Amino acid sequence: MSRTLKLAAVIGAITSLPIAPSVAAAENLRVVASFSIIADFAKNVGGDRVDIVTLVGPNGDAHVYEPKPADAATVGSADVVLVNGLQFEGFLQRLVEASATKAPIVELTKGGEVLRNTEEEGHHDQHKAAEGEGGHAAAAEEGHEEGHHHHGESDPHAWQSVHNAELYVKNIADAFCAADAAGCDTYRANAKSYGQQLEALEAEIKAAVAEIPEDKRTIITSHDAYKYFEHEYGIKFLAPEGVSTESEASASDVAALIKQIRQDKASAIFVENVTNPRLIEQIASETGLKVGGELYSDALSDKNGPAATYLEMMRHNITTIKGAILGS
Amino acid sequence: MRTNWASATAIALLLSLSTSAAHAEEVTAWRLFISDHADPKVTVIDAIDGEKLDTFEIKGPASLHRSESGRTVFAVQGSAGVVAGIASGISFEDHGEHGDIDVEAPKFAGVEITGNKPSHFVEHGGDFAVFFDGEGVARIISEKSVLEGKPDFMEVKTDAPQHGVAVAYGSHVLLSEPNREKPDELPVGIRVTDKAGAPIGGIHACPDLHGEASSGNILAFACATGLLVVSHGDGSPAVRHLPYADSLPDGKTTTLIGGRGLQYFLGNYGADKVVLIDPTIESDSFRLINLPTRRVHFAVDPVCAKFAYVITEDGQLHQLDVVKGEIANSLKLTGPYSMDGHWSDPRPRVAVAGDKIVVTDPLQGVLHLVDATSFEKTGDIAVEGKPFNIVSVGGSGQTHAGE
Ligand SMILES: [Zn+2]
Repeated sequence: MSRTLKLAAVIGAITSLPIAPSVAAAENLRVVASFSIIADFAKNVGGDRVDIVTLVGPNGDAHVYEPKPADAATVGSADVVLVNGLQFEGFLQRLVEASATKAPIVELTKGGEVLRNTEEEGHHDQHKAAEGEGGHAAAAEEGHEEGHHHHGESDPHAWQSVHNAELYVKNIADAFCAADAAGCDTYRANAKSYGQQLEALEAEIKAAVAEIPEDKRTIITSHDAYKYFEHEYGIKFLAPEGVSTESEASASDVAALIKQIRQDKASAIFVENVTNPRLIEQIASETGLKVGGELYSDALSDKNGPAATYLEMMRHNITTIKGAILGS
Repeated sequence: MRTNWASATAIALLLSLSTSAAHAEEVTAWRLFISDHADPKVTVIDAIDGEKLDTFEIKGPASLHRSESGRTVFAVQGSAGVVAGIASGISFEDHGEHGDIDVEAPKFAGVEITGNKPSHFVEHGGDFAVFFDGEGVARIISEKSVLEGKPDFMEVKTDAPQHGVAVAYGSHVLLSEPNREKPDELPVGIRVTDKAGAPIGGIHACPDLHGEASSGNILAFACATGLLVVSHGDGSPAVRHLPYADSLPDGKTTTLIGGRGLQYFLGNYGADKVVLIDPTIESDSFRLINLPTRRVHFAVDPVCAKFAYVITEDGQLHQLDVVKGEIANSLKLTGPYSMDGHWSDPRPRVAVAGDKIVVTDPLQGVLHLVDATSFEKTGDIAVEGKPFNIVSVGGSGQTHAGE
């Protein structure tokens, strides 16, 4: 393995594959995944034909990640770079520039339905969300108001809908086929069998949600990472922080949320693996809600944790949500 | 499926064309602030056309610092015992998809911080901390106060005069700990205090503490033994010691600068070397780069994150590729400036203004301009006296007519 890959392996996580490294280095597709969830998709599609280096590893927060010179070297020597897009990786442009890479930068959300956050920062319009109008074409109209000001941010957390995960997988298979035509049949076959697992997962999530009484389907997390989940499966999420963890929630945002929680009778509150639990603990103590556990939002757990793969992460999240609501 | 990404983008684009592009104009402005080695003045030059904009009379020869926002430049006048704030006249407002730029004449901000022997000047999160060596006291003021002309600073005391440093770190202050046995020597560590100066926890050892820098969300101090690395902890700053790698020769870092765009630190290490440091990895944190002769000054490129620049005593400017960890290009710019003699003798300094690298040549009274893309010399700007320390501020943004 090259020194570059070795360096990067320390900061991120290298997905080890059941193949001798000497063979791998000579023939395998060198894939960089911007964060752990994408890396897991890529592993499922690429199988033993790809070597994957992950930039933002388990429990890491890609919103605020600072790229290192070693990351630029890793990207510089990649064959394919897989990213989420929709401004999830705020570091992407400067990293790609510094890397001078010739590899395609593949945005896996491309071609998908995009939710937009049309609200002013910290202002959470519950009625809008409840009516299922939390974005879409309405975003463009809102942007009109102030011309050069807020157009409404795109919500990057598309993987929180399993339906979208299928699109990520399709886009990965397309990218791998373009970079390695000889492996295309394998990638398509892998994508198909993984797609079946995703379908089964989606059915499980829907069945679990169906067991939760409709008036108990409002819960709290720390940042707006679950709007796709909400849109797809009908659990309503409120959060003190917006779609990026970059700016902290203000005291008035938190106060407004606490008021809203009391009105809405939120059923449960959760900490997230990528954010500091302090704020959620504070809101929990002020509203009398008990913290219902840890949800995985923008990153997988490490390999010993409960969410080492995407399938495990989604199962863990819905099980934790259901358990906390029904147990409350 | 209601709206796909492609059509949403198209709508947003059309809207921005109709509502703002019609009145918006893209403007680029860069200014150079240059102090003189002997005279108490700061010269301001428009880096785009090379014209002199103004000269500020100050009280003593100064070292210069620019704020992260670029709105303020500080002239630290050690011998005169004063730090003067100058409003650079260039400011930005972030609107997400683009930034607005506002360009006005530079002027004194109206705030001076006085005291005995001001030395290290550190900004963190919009708060400036000046350490006054002669008193062992740090005075802290926000950029907001400086630009409003309000001298409302906070004072934090250490136990003794020292060549020290302080950092206003959110609701805490990081303060150097004086060497009690040998008061003339460098500080021995860092202590964390609350805003009132009350210590929290013990001293984080950092023998021969000299040099600090920030890169992204990490702050580092250079010690004889390695780096003290400070990051946001749970409630208070988390401080850890990163020892120099065993593979490094004997030496230490005493000047540290932080990468912009990429997270890394660049330090001196011995007279003819620099070291690239990534404190976030366990091994290979330190990459040593040998220079052809002794080093005079170094700076990072805030625009093209991949490069940093080092000027050496033979008058060569070196372009350092921080990704590869090697010198990518070298260019002869000035006559020789020997590192023999006093450390504060007039020697070149480097700053980057957009796509221009600017190097002061105090003995010739000129600034050399180098194109950052081609790494070729493109011109000179004559400056009266001995142009010495230099900082640049500026960037590109939109202006909106009728606002
Ligand atoms: Zn997120």
